[in-house]
Amino acid sequence: MKNSPQDNLKKENRFELLRELLLEDDREKFNALSEEIVMREKVASRVDPLIDAKLNELRENFPVEFGEVITDTIKTQIRDSQDEVVDALYPIIGKLIKKAIVVEIKKLSDNINKSVKRTFSFKDYFKRKVSGVNEGDAALQDAFKPVLEEIFIIEKNSGILLGNRSTENIANKDMVSGMLTAIKSFAEDAFSKEGQDLEDIKFETFHITLYNFNTIYIAIAISGVQTLDFKEELNNKIHNFTEIIFDNRSNLENEKKLNKLIVEHLIEG
Amino acid sequence: MISKKVLLVGNFGVGKTSLIRRFVHNEFSEDYISTIGVRVSTKVIQTNKESLKLLIWDVAGTNGDQTVPKAYFLGASAAMFVFDLSREETYINIVKQIDMVKELSGLKNIVVIGNKRDLMTADKLHILLEKVDVTIDFITSAKENENVEDAFKLLGQQSLK
Repeated sequence: MKNSPQDNLKKENRFELLRELLLEDDREKFNALSEEIVMREKVASRVDPLIDAKLNELRENFPVEFGEVITDTIKTQIRDSQDEVVDALYPIIGKLIKKAIVVEIKKLSDNINKSVKRTFSFKDYFKRKVSGVNEGDAALQDAFKPVLEEIFIIEKNSGILLGNRSTENIANKDMVSGMLTAIKSFAEDAFSKEGQDLEDIKFETFHITLYNFNTIYIAIAISGVQTLDFKEELNNKIHNFTEIIFDNRSNLENEKKLNKLIVEHLIEG
Repeated sequence: MISKKVLLVGNFGVGKTSLIRRFVHNEFSEDYISTIGVRVSTKVIQTNKESLKLLIWDVAGTNGDQTVPKAYFLGASAAMFVFDLSREETYINIVKQIDMVKELSGLKNIVVIGNKRDLMTADKLHILLEKVDVTIDFITSAKENENVEDAFKLLGQQSLK
């Protein structure tokens, strides 16, 4: 049976009435929310410029208002964590100095190349240019290739061995690191001015290089002839290695982890 | 394993090296070895909780006449002052000497050992103990292996404090 238009109108009125009844509470809440938002917008439009002005004022006067407090806080932090700060800065300062030296060496190298170019024949110059090194250096490199025989990471004052890597079986590495520290202390006390560190112990074909940091030093025994390239590469490796170990000082308290880092960054790296 | 640096100090000839030899190698050499500068030995001992590796720095000449690099004393966790019970000159200035070790090392307590018990009679020892101005932790004899182990054990315990 078909609905008449009157029937349809009656149904719509009924739905409208039902909707009014069901949504009455929600409508009230909606109106209240709407009023609250309008109120907030009104308040915000008055308060925001004041807050912005205060923030700008604070930004401009920050160094005057808080500079002294922040400086004191930083000073206290640095004073209380001197070892950590110095260890963190060592590799960075080292890199900066190295960069400057590399620039100067590059200039020197360019000057030497100019002289070589003028002095030697085209044929000799061409040979060196192709190989990248001079013939004498190349022959030496082949005959006496440098090898890292021993790497010791040693606590500076106590001489306690924190980590190591050896190609030979040294009977008592702890004793060696202790005696090395004693010899280092003796030499520094006897010969150096205050604050200077022993950096090299040289035998005929054997060389112990000591890289000194604030709380530790790294002793590397190298056999063979060290070229400039080798030394530079080793210096880079040391800087990267120390950056990693000083970044998280717990590395120095875990011998196995430290030994793994030595292999990764100084031997294989 | 925890490692600690410990010091052995005292005049020449008081038996420091002999104590170390007895402790580290468990043997005694009759050869007189006068230590020059420093000698480093290692020994692993058992404490109540775990193994402890001692890095023993045998430092010579702390009687004021000799100069020893101050750096030898740095980073130490404990120290043992050894004197010779049979030689008065090794303990006559004991308070001053111990204070100097404390100052150089920054340590508050020093283990005090009177060595060469084997050269003393009971009477002589009694008279001597009246003369010494500090508390003696152990009377030892490196030659007869008397109290050596206990003295180093105390040193190890001090290093963990």
